[in-house]
Amino acid sequence: MATTATESKELMQGADEAEEPKSQGALAFYREEVADLVRMIARTFYYVFRGKREKGAFTRQCFAIGNQSMFFMAVTMGFIGAIVLYQMCMQAKRIIPDLTMIGGMYLKLLLRELGPSVGAMPLATRVGAGIAAEIGSMVVTEQTDALRMSGADPVDYLVVPRVLAATLMCTVVLVLGAGFAYFAGMLVAVNSFELNVHSFINLSDVTWRDVTLGLIKCVFYGCAIALVSCHRGLRTFGGSEGVGVATTQAVVGSLFCVIILNFILSAIGHIVLPP
Amino acid sequence: MIRVEDIHLSFKSPVLRGVSFEVQEGEIYALIGPGASGKSVLLKTIAGLLRPARGHVWIGDVEVTASDELQMMELRKKIGMLFQNYALFDKTVGENIAFPLERLFDMPEDEIRERVAERLAAVALPGIEDRIPASLSGGQKKRVGVARATIARAPVVLYDEPTAGLDPVTSQKIYNLIRDEQRAQKSTAIVISSDVAGVLTIADRVGMLLNGRLIFEGTVEEARASKHPAVEQFVHGKTEGPL
Amino acid sequence: MKAALLSLPTQVGVAALAIAQQTGGIAIMAAQILRRLLPPKIDRVEFFRNMYRMGVQSLPIVIATAFFTGGIMVIQAAPIVQSFNATHFVGWAALFTTFREIGPLLIALMFNGRVGANNTAELGTMVVTEQIDALRALAIDPITYLVVPRALSMAITMTALVILGDFFAIFGAIVTADVMLDFPPASFMNHGLPMVEFWDFQVGVIKAAFFGVMIGLASCYFGLATTGGAPGVGRAVNRSVVASASGIFITDYLSTFVLA
Repeated sequence: MATTATESKELMQGADEAEEPKSQGALAFYREEVADLVRMIARTFYYVFRGKREKGAFTRQCFAIGNQSMFFMAVTMGFIGAIVLYQMCMQAKRIIPDLTMIGGMYLKLLLRELGPSVGAMPLATRVGAGIAAEIGSMVVTEQTDALRMSGADPVDYLVVPRVLAATLMCTVVLVLGAGFAYFAGMLVAVNSFELNVHSFINLSDVTWRDVTLGLIKCVFYGCAIALVSCHRGLRTFGGSEGVGVATTQAVVGSLFCVIILNFILSAIGHIVLPP
Repeated sequence: MIRVEDIHLSFKSPVLRGVSFEVQEGEIYALIGPGASGKSVLLKTIAGLLRPARGHVWIGDVEVTASDELQMMELRKKIGMLFQNYALFDKTVGENIAFPLERLFDMPEDEIRERVAERLAAVALPGIEDRIPASLSGGQKKRVGVARATIARAPVVLYDEPTAGLDPVTSQKIYNLIRDEQRAQKSTAIVISSDVAGVLTIADRVGMLLNGRLIFEGTVEEARASKHPAVEQFVHGKTEGPL
Repeated sequence: MKAALLSLPTQVGVAALAIAQQTGGIAIMAAQILRRLLPPKIDRVEFFRNMYRMGVQSLPIVIATAFFTGGIMVIQAAPIVQSFNATHFVGWAALFTTFREIGPLLIALMFNGRVGANNTAELGTMVVTEQIDALRALAIDPITYLVVPRALSMAITMTALVILGDFFAIFGAIVTADVMLDFPPASFMNHGLPMVEFWDFQVGVIKAAFFGVMIGLASCYFGLATTGGAPGVGRAVNRSVVASASGIFITDYLSTFVLA
């Protein structure tokens, strides 16, 4: 009976045991998970072209992601915009007393960097956690098994609509968020630094290259967040605590992907689409 | 019809340690055993949801263990499955039941609707197509699950704990439902159950799993008459014995 | 996926009530924690166990994050300093933003996602499996035994991680400046680094402490407020991560103006 009890404990509390072997084979664990992620990405792309469309799934996901994140992002980006503008002005005053260039510099920075990359952080937290928790709960209640038995590959049925929707909606939300950041920054510039609204709104510094780089980053981030979070959700193991673990890993993984992509895209952008 | 050969599977420790058995076409095979002996894992392996470390599974003449996910989709037209916790989707009852038909077959919508209505009538829940699972009782959800598992008239149906958590009357009704379905479709069924007395009323043959090994296989009479200490204790629900 | 068909005012009202309830709950928990800190009544074993776990769990991710952040900031600052013909300022430009803003923010978000979410999941599972009730029945106060060590650990670990992260950010910045801008490390150390004020570094550390407290409070609150069985834990983690993220940004905003 002792053996059965041990086995039953291990079956029920898989997540509990998951901590011990993980620390010993951490590198092997990451390697395996990344390999599985790559396989999932391959299957996702296959199903984007050859999958079976579920009526309205894409639209529903767009609505869910947009609804979920818009208010949060509006508030967050407003704060970020205010903070960054304030910092920029404070530090700029130390080298050049004249702040009339700030508006143009700020917009350029917003388009290339702040809007997409800094905005992607809270967005990754919100959207990533949401997707992973939803899919993770489905795994734990055997719904993903039921999907497979009913002829619906979870990658086709769950992942594809979310990845497509996130790629689109994250871009939309990040663009709108950048708008909020711009206005918040403008408010701070006008109120705290007595800058003129007209001199702040300066589009002469901005080129199509900035806009292109910003949009490219948004698209990549949205896609990456969805792929990583879906994968973490599908790999949930071990009951209710497993869903928590999956959410954690989704947020951290998404954030990390955003950072790495930011580094790569910024470096490429510096060369191919110079500011 | 279903052939299982030397299945080995481990998660963090061995769960199945060399299980082999066969289920004949048209019979109901009961899989019993104490908690966590590996029954659900075995059933999922047969369904192709889990991959064993070693061993083979055949359904008909298709080897499940050698098929990839896309090939399995073809095979799943012929398998229906009922899950322990119902695993109903976040849709209406009607949409849940119709789902396998929509994904696996190209059937016209009115034919699908007819079949769903017929299934709901068969499980004694007529007309609830537009309800959502959250508004149903446990027994009703299980019956919806049975409807979904049998909607494609699959030749193989797998039931994982169809009566867990249900009162004795509802349990027996579900067992009778399973048996009536099987007779009507001439299908093959594997039924996992912790309710030994109940499941033995409908089974043709029985297998008992203990610690990941099949320690007994035979007809219902043989199971009841077995002198193997673990089998005898489990089948008759005694408190004294090796378990 | 179930679209809420409530009218807009109702949705706003519901959200406002929820936020009020959560803010209130967190404030109450903060008060409870404070009461147990003066005089200090801390479970030593739990405290050190959590310090170790949270620190070790976060180390690799924070080091990697900080390194890349230093690099990214150099790439961002490069065009700006070059347009002013002030390339030797690149170190300062990259690093002061990192120390003051991006570093603490990013590390806080990572920490929130890793340790905060984990914490909520643990406490939530304990609630759902009735372990919290069991503790109370054994006359062990859950706040003293569970919450105080964790919240305190998170505040301290966050601060330590940001300090450590700042060093790795410098490293990342130096490497990137060398590789991408052909800016020699020696030059960076001599010109760029000294221009960064110690106060910039300190601001970042103070913020880190605030963020740590925020994450500690929020993750413990949402963990203990879990309802609804296994799926409830997933929901609690979700809410905790998002609420902490909001809190981080709001705290950042407030502290920017206070710590000018």
